[in-house]
Amino acid sequence: MKADAPILEVRGITKRFPGGVVALDHVDLEIRPGEIHAVLGENGAGKTTLMNILFGVLQPDEGEIYINGRRVRFRSPLDAMNMGIGMVHQIRKLIPAHTVLENIILGHPKTESIINLKKAREEVKALCEKYGFNIDLDARVWQLSAGEQQVVEILRALYRGAKILILDEPTTVLTPSEVESFLNSMKAMTKEEIATIPFVTHKLPEVFAVCDRITVLRRGKVVKRLGTKEATMKALAEYMVGREVLFKLEKPKVEIGEEILRVENLSALSDKGVLALKGVSFSIREGEIFGIAGIAGNGQQELAEVIAGLRKPLGGRIIFQGRDITNASVLERMKMGIGYIPPERLGVGAIGNFSLVENILMSIYFDHEFSSKGFLSYKKIREYAKKIISEFEVVAPSIDTKAAHLSGGNLQRLILGRVIPRTSKLLIANSPTVGLDIAATEAVRNRILKCKERGMGVLLISEDLDEVLELSDSIAPIYEGRFVRILSAVEAKKEVVGAMMAGALSGGG
Amino acid sequence: MVYLQLPKLKRERLIVLTGKEAVLISISSLIVAFIIFSGFLMLEGATPTEAYGHIFTFAFDPKLGLSTTLHRGFFILFSTLAFIVPMSAGLWNIGMEGQFYLGTIGAFAVAYSLPNLDPALLIPLMITSGALFGAGYGALAGFLRGKLNVNEVVATLMLNNIAFWLVYLLTVGGPWAGIAESTSRPLPASARAPIIWNTTFTSFLAIGIAILLYIFLKYSSLGYQIRVLGNSSVAAKHIGISAPKITILVMSIGGAIAGAAGYHMWAGDPAFYMIPRPEAYKAIGDLTYWGILIGLVCLLNSLAAIPFTVFIGSILVGSTVLVRRLRLPFGLDVLFLGVISLTFVAFQFFHNYRIRRIRRE
Repeated sequence: MKADAPILEVRGITKRFPGGVVALDHVDLEIRPGEIHAVLGENGAGKTTLMNILFGVLQPDEGEIYINGRRVRFRSPLDAMNMGIGMVHQIRKLIPAHTVLENIILGHPKTESIINLKKAREEVKALCEKYGFNIDLDARVWQLSAGEQQVVEILRALYRGAKILILDEPTTVLTPSEVESFLNSMKAMTKEEIATIPFVTHKLPEVFAVCDRITVLRRGKVVKRLGTKEATMKALAEYMVGREVLFKLEKPKVEIGEEILRVENLSALSDKGVLALKGVSFSIREGEIFGIAGIAGNGQQELAEVIAGLRKPLGGRIIFQGRDITNASVLERMKMGIGYIPPERLGVGAIGNFSLVENILMSIYFDHEFSSKGFLSYKKIREYAKKIISEFEVVAPSIDTKAAHLSGGNLQRLILGRVIPRTSKLLIANSPTVGLDIAATEAVRNRILKCKERGMGVLLISEDLDEVLELSDSIAPIYEGRFVRILSAVEAKKEVVGAMMAGALSGGG
Repeated sequence: MVYLQLPKLKRERLIVLTGKEAVLISISSLIVAFIIFSGFLMLEGATPTEAYGHIFTFAFDPKLGLSTTLHRGFFILFSTLAFIVPMSAGLWNIGMEGQFYLGTIGAFAVAYSLPNLDPALLIPLMITSGALFGAGYGALAGFLRGKLNVNEVVATLMLNNIAFWLVYLLTVGGPWAGIAESTSRPLPASARAPIIWNTTFTSFLAIGIAILLYIFLKYSSLGYQIRVLGNSSVAAKHIGISAPKITILVMSIGGAIAGAAGYHMWAGDPAFYMIPRPEAYKAIGDLTYWGILIGLVCLLNSLAAIPFTVFIGSILVGSTVLVRRLRLPFGLDVLFLGVISLTFVAFQFFHNYRIRRIRRE
């Protein structure tokens, strides 16, 4: 550990939101030059608020920020950038149609009306070499993987001369092979006295491997500050959640039954009209969890949508319980017992402006049990909603609360509560735990296992390899629209599946 | 020392707007409109309180303005409802004007071809025909939007223009031309709308539709599907709601309501009983655009729209006294309406944002 004076110091930061929510409660943070200092916390712990305050997006109600011992106030992100703070957002702020180089120099003070691309290119190239980033500066951003786009954002911050780099969930978008080179680059940056502050909810082990110190946030307060050497994975998770966490899920022993779904040579176009799914065949049986592991954009989204009836297939057939449903509508499929959990929650899986009752109604509005003569029987619906809310442990003041007020984990519980009880045969769970904290993730995974126990077939799609391996009976790594192979849970080794996801073993490997 | 001064006020995005907040916002917007217009009145040498007194006593005097106030107000209610239904599904119906013209054509076609029919039959027939014509015209825009993804704002706006000229073709020197230049023949006496309590019975029809719509949108399964589509078309797709079907449906319902106003307007006011000159029926057609504003101000609540439309009707009718009785410059009455519509639009900001003060350190 370095003994230098802190480059960034945060004292007693407090932030209140309308409605009396205290997002941050006297938070202190001290970052030394060249240090990797992870901030851990669950969703709702106040990480995002703290990040936004450090980057000048929000202003604190109380507390002070010091850079190199001088008190600073950020009115906007521009002020923060001028003081040497760089931010790498989880939601990319890049222009997809422009090249990597153009994105990096965009908005840079040195970039004047006449752009000296040659000089900029040399400077950026030097940065890449120094920190070990391997990226084609002339590639268009839309062609890049999520991990590469993150590199572009980091380079942009470094090119602006950032001395403190805030990283929002840096490892979630990376493939296992990308993680290693990313961590090496982070280490290289520390040698140049650049401090990095990764904010982390998931994927603890990766960050754990490189950081010097850790600050754990829970419900807006710093609950623990410790050096990496003193920490264990299990202890960290407990600090974050506030109770003991069981990392192991109990897989129920379920007899695998008859075939529910058979997909034959399915292909589909993406929204851009590119062939995204290139002839996929598999089947799912009763009580089986079929996991598809892949980096986003490899055709799994299209596959899920085709099976749910949201996207027309280009070719191939879908057989559900012996019946060809290739051309059946979404509603027909829902009535047959097929349920879909979409990856986006607000606006797709749930409607923020609707109450919890109206949200639950999304899965039963067509059911004659809950309406008569075209009018909804609100009394029955409200009773049903109450039952669902308590059964799925959705925490909300009342069933008339608007869904927009729910936290991510509660929202996902609501969506599961809406979909699962109305799904009798096949559940398609598309990235069901993405963005959720540990407690909510655990709850969602247990729900999925319960579906298996009930004899349903489950199609699980996830970027989280551990999740797929942990839950599934069969595992299909997907790469560029094709299954690399279909493995049974017993033969699927993490390293092998990870390599398959990254395309290392595709095509005969 | 680096010292960056904090701004005093801050804008915050609202997640959810309650009905109570919406009422407060509209009342404040009206107060602001009255204050702004007071400035104009004083500039012209009038006393604002006196002027406002005149406006409302005239507008609500049963012997003077009341029947016109109600007639115009409920006409605006028809177009507000015609806006609310498609907007609940997320569609901007800017075509109430054209649908109203088509409704006019539908109603008058029946009246001219069956002039000797019993009023008890003729009048419902005229209203139904007007509603069907309007519905068809709305459905056309709905089809373009739902099936071919043509923007509904552009489609309905252009259809308005076509409808205006259709009426023109029929009246100015056309088959329906009357003796007076560029108006239509008068309606047969059997087509005139019965008057109840200072207003045409169709005003009560408008109230009835408002109540039915409220129940329909809130409690029916179809109304629910409309609202899901209005909140998120992606979510609607995910739960098997057919967007093209709902789109055509809501545009037809909206068109039907605007079309029914074709009867209400011309057969409900003894000053007309015919289609007037093009500039006069165009001026009436322009009133339909109040429906957009009021629909948005009322957060698409069709019951809340009723007092608003009557209020606008009263300003519409009452402000004419500024010119006639107080001898103020011509156009000041129109200016008042303009100020109100602008403050309504400006205050829409508060439907999405809240302004909060930040303490200076």
